[in-house]
Amino acid sequence: MADIVLNEVSKSYGAVSVLEKVSMHIKSGEFIVFLGPSGCGKSTLLRMIAGLEAVNEGEIHIGDRRVDQLPPNQRGVAMVFQNYALYPHMTVRANMSFGLQNIGTDKAEITRRVEDAARMLEIVPLLERRPAQLSGGQRQRVAIGRAIVREPEAFLLDEPLSNLDAGLRVRTRVELAQLHNRIKATMIFVTHDQTEAMTLASRIVVMNNRRIEQIGTPMEVYSRPASRFVAAFVGSPSMNFLAVTAIADKGGRAAVTAGGSVIDTGIAFGALPGPEGLTLGVRPDALRVAADGSGSLTGKIDIVERLGDRTLVHVRLGDGSLVVAEDAGNSLLEPGMDVSLRPDGAATHIFGADGRAYHAG
Amino acid sequence: MSAEALPRVAEASERGGRDRAIDIGGLILTIITFAAALAAFFPIYWAIITSVKPDGEVISGSNSLWPGRFSFDSYIHIWNNTNIAIWYVNSMVTSLIITALVIVSSAGCAYALSQLDFPGRRVIYVLILACFMVPMQALIVNHFVLMAQFKLLNSWAGIILPQLIVPVVIIVYKQFFDSVPKEFREAAQMDSAGHFKILFRIYLPMNWGVTAALAIITFIGAWNAFLWPFLAATGEATMTVPVGITQVKDAYGIVYGKQMASAVAAGLPVAIVYLIFQRRVTQAIMLSAGVKG
Repeated sequence: MADIVLNEVSKSYGAVSVLEKVSMHIKSGEFIVFLGPSGCGKSTLLRMIAGLEAVNEGEIHIGDRRVDQLPPNQRGVAMVFQNYALYPHMTVRANMSFGLQNIGTDKAEITRRVEDAARMLEIVPLLERRPAQLSGGQRQRVAIGRAIVREPEAFLLDEPLSNLDAGLRVRTRVELAQLHNRIKATMIFVTHDQTEAMTLASRIVVMNNRRIEQIGTPMEVYSRPASRFVAAFVGSPSMNFLAVTAIADKGGRAAVTAGGSVIDTGIAFGALPGPEGLTLGVRPDALRVAADGSGSLTGKIDIVERLGDRTLVHVRLGDGSLVVAEDAGNSLLEPGMDVSLRPDGAATHIFGADGRAYHAG
Repeated sequence: MSAEALPRVAEASERGGRDRAIDIGGLILTIITFAAALAAFFPIYWAIITSVKPDGEVISGSNSLWPGRFSFDSYIHIWNNTNIAIWYVNSMVTSLIITALVIVSSAGCAYALSQLDFPGRRVIYVLILACFMVPMQALIVNHFVLMAQFKLLNSWAGIILPQLIVPVVIIVYKQFFDSVPKEFREAAQMDSAGHFKILFRIYLPMNWGVTAALAIITFIGAWNAFLWPFLAATGEATMTVPVGITQVKDAYGIVYGKQMASAVAAGLPVAIVYLIFQRRVTQAIMLSAGVKG
């Protein structure tokens, strides 16, 4: 397994730029997830690492080799495609052997590697079947098996779970995490599904609009988003944003007026820019319903979503803005009721006009 | 029966009426199709029947639809008195070579046009499309002069080379390759396969049906080709079956039974190929018409 280093990598198609000076260092054995909305450049970046897209500027290193000018088969990486791209006329065994045959691997060695991978992925009974005779989950395993037998330095996975139904997706996600724990391989996984990113990643690379917004562990990205985009994109339901109309220094911490009320935050007043264009951000799990009516925000309930373990309450505040707050699973709240909300000051965020984030603590 | 059920019954009866109307339409169409099929098949039937009638019955002017007596004298005669065996060999060899070369070269050309990025790709494709619109007859003089200058007249090579230009096969292959998700090529590239391996190990085997269909229509076209082999092969030793059977008339005057026997013998391999691969031939015709089979 090897480190992967991207150094100011850029990509454009004619005059259209799709990636601008992307740099990162992926450590050996890490499970990295490229997360971002459609069109942000995450798949292009993965394909550039794979060698399927040319690099216009910058360098890519895998291990101690510079690889950005090498063809895909010489980069020491294996890829699992979104649609698996299993050769439909070949058996599972032939699919897994094809790459090894092409590089002249000894027959006995091919058999050993294919059977080892098949045992690890529990697809031994499927070896003589063709892809059309497999379920979606089985095909996905075969695609991973085809990558494993090549013993690559890194695995590149391009939205490999997106073709699976919801239940299978969750199961396969767990299996993928188990596989990573077992083989300790460097894996780069592309997805636009933040749940996949949060559950699988050692570190998440959040991408937006041709560039990296933030690189961090799932909890860093969730708790301390680097920008308003990251705050909005990661987390479900999404973070609440309230326009800040005034800001005051309260013992070195910022007290902001937002949603028609004054909210004490844990954010250092001195670190903030001027009050213009500021936005307060608070996640639904940090905005609790105050049963005793002592919360700093008040409003009328619009919708109640009962999820079993918790209840999501959509509240229209006095200034007309809509926020989502959390209450207990057995909440008795109903639409139309007046409610009081208490934000957790330590878990609030303030975003500048440029989208930059300021956190408590 | 409840009052609610009544409208449903009326609706069902109305639907039943419509079904009957559709059946009548279908019946009329079936009759028309059957009549057209009969009209198309009749000349073939007439040729077969004439070829198995004794000479006397053929020239007696009786237009009976069934022979008074079955006779295979015409077949025995053309077998014993013409070079039909050699013409068969020539036809078989030239048709098979044309088919193999057309398939391999067209698949390679189409793969390059579909999957590789190189300067002039679009221009080449437009030129191929333009070739599709130029009939063989318009080029026949050029082909003849060229083959004569190469001293390839009266040879298999002379018959084969001009028939290797089949743009429709390239176009159909390109359409097929365009429809294959690019991830297959990329997966094969990651698997260290070169372009030849990708074409012959991945793309073509992925759907042999397309190749089989194109090979069959190319073979049938090459077997039935008359104009070019007629010009390129003037000696009996290099004639193909369609050209050779014109000699039957010259050699024996107007002998309908023998002519029909040679025509049936000429068409037999194509008919057998067609009957065995009927579905593939239909698929090929649909593919070459730009309709997915």
